[in-house]
Amino acid sequence: MLSQVTLITHTRNSAKTLPRLLGTTGWAARRIIVDMHSNDGTRDIAAAAGCEIIDAPLVDAVDEIRNEFLDMVETEWTLVLDSDEFLPAGAEQAIADLITRYGPSHDAIGLPRYNMLGDGHLHGSLWYPDHQIRLFKTGTLRWQQGHHRRPEAVGGPGRIVKLPPEGSLHIHHAAYRNLEELIGKQLHYALTDHYDTDQDTFDFNEYVSRAYLQYARRFDPHADGELSGALATIMAWDQIMRGLIHWERLGRPSELPAVFTLPIATTSEVPKTAVRRDGRKVRKLQLKRHKLRRILQKLRGRPH
Amino acid sequence: MEMTIVIPSRGLAALLTACLRLLHVALAEAGISDHRIVVVDNATPHPFASDRFGPQVEILRFDVPQSFSHACNAGVRRGAAQGCRHVFLLNNDVLLHPRAIAEMLAAKQAAKAAVSGARLVFPDDTIQHCGVRIGGPRPIPYHEHIHTPTPLVSRRLRTYQAVTGAAMIIDHALYDELGGLDECYPFAYEDVDFCLRARQKGHRITCAQAVDSVHFASMTPGRFRHEDESRAIFEARWAGRCTSDTEEGLYKC
Repeated sequence: MLSQVTLITHTRNSAKTLPRLLGTTGWAARRIIVDMHSNDGTRDIAAAAGCEIIDAPLVDAVDEIRNEFLDMVETEWTLVLDSDEFLPAGAEQAIADLITRYGPSHDAIGLPRYNMLGDGHLHGSLWYPDHQIRLFKTGTLRWQQGHHRRPEAVGGPGRIVKLPPEGSLHIHHAAYRNLEELIGKQLHYALTDHYDTDQDTFDFNEYVSRAYLQYARRFDPHADGELSGALATIMAWDQIMRGLIHWERLGRPSELPAVFTLPIATTSEVPKTAVRRDGRKVRKLQLKRHKLRRILQKLRGRPH
Repeated sequence: MEMTIVIPSRGLAALLTACLRLLHVALAEAGISDHRIVVVDNATPHPFASDRFGPQVEILRFDVPQSFSHACNAGVRRGAAQGCRHVFLLNNDVLLHPRAIAEMLAAKQAAKAAVSGARLVFPDDTIQHCGVRIGGPRPIPYHEHIHTPTPLVSRRLRTYQAVTGAAMIIDHALYDELGGLDECYPFAYEDVDFCLRARQKGHRITCAQAVDSVHFASMTPGRFRHEDESRAIFEARWAGRCTSDTEEGLYKC
């Protein structure tokens, strides 16, 4: 047992995934399950595994309430895992080794994470290594508002060490059963996220740019095969959806450049006659995108 | 349960698939239906999906590379949790002959042994393993008749000081009693060490000779990185404490 580590996990109807997490973390000195009104047997599973169960209000973004429960930890180190994550065999020894190695010089450890679609592990750009700062000295990390924002180290970013992926302990994230579930989750995150309320800083084109960037960076068929295009398209569309949600929440402050909200996966399908509001032809943007992809491919060291 | 089969593997999924296919055939040929197969995914960069090798194969995943001993012991703990009669350690680059398991069990019974190895050949039909001898004065284990064409090597059953862990059937009770393979070895010699410890307890070691299985041998990347360290541990432990086959002649059934 690792006497210096407490595990904290937030749950909401997590009966399907929680057993795997609990089955791979039994070595933690204390395990705290912060449950948000589950009614599917989650609490029974946690209780049977000897976890402490704390009630929490139901919130859309778990990160927002993580900080309040971190204060309950009394051990030197805290491990935060989500209920759909788990650890591999040998995790106890690996964590003990990490604490011994990095404890004297760092406050927090960024663990690489495998994201899974069904039973397969994603290896494409931005899906991997997907470092997560989840193992840290108690009291040295604070989470921020919103979905999937990186926590901040109280002692500054220099106190965080990111592990090289090869040969290191990973978090295994049984993220999505299929593409439908990914789409559903992304939409949920987009609908429940926080958006800047300053109208002057809103620019829908920024979301469009991010969408293209998402596609260019995530389209990685060498790593994930044909799935890569689908994933890249979903994540690009996620940016467009966010732009629209933001736009509406601000009271629809400006006219949308509608042409860019059309499908963006393949620019060759964009009508050549389309023009932007500023009069520039779409083709220019197309060239920019290809240029960007070439740069990214060069950086990755792959052929065009 | 009759048998738990443990196969450590770092990558080599295609080879492992072929290995498993032939393992199923050999299990069926031996009439063993009550078994568990555990593949220990020893830090493969692209982890094996849980259903990668079919529903009959369990995957035990390590992210941090483990020694061969640790991987085997962890696999046995997983597979034989409820107890079983035999443990079968198998390498991912061994293609079993359909009768290999049946012959290993038969040899084990005939020699009244607790451990049985398999006769293995390289793809060019020369001997890779048909038993391990130990040379002196330093205790250096070597594969008897290695690289000799297999038709030239006798198929008579005999006992040895050790057999390779590439394909080794062991009484589970003995495996438990000895605490499994010794995890002080980074990679190599842990199998010979296990056999010598078994012999110290009075158990016999044999090797089935009737059929040849193919062993590509040392396919895992970085296989030899820890060889010297392991050999030093082995020599320090066994120098002066085991018999030299070259001095005292071969052991016979």
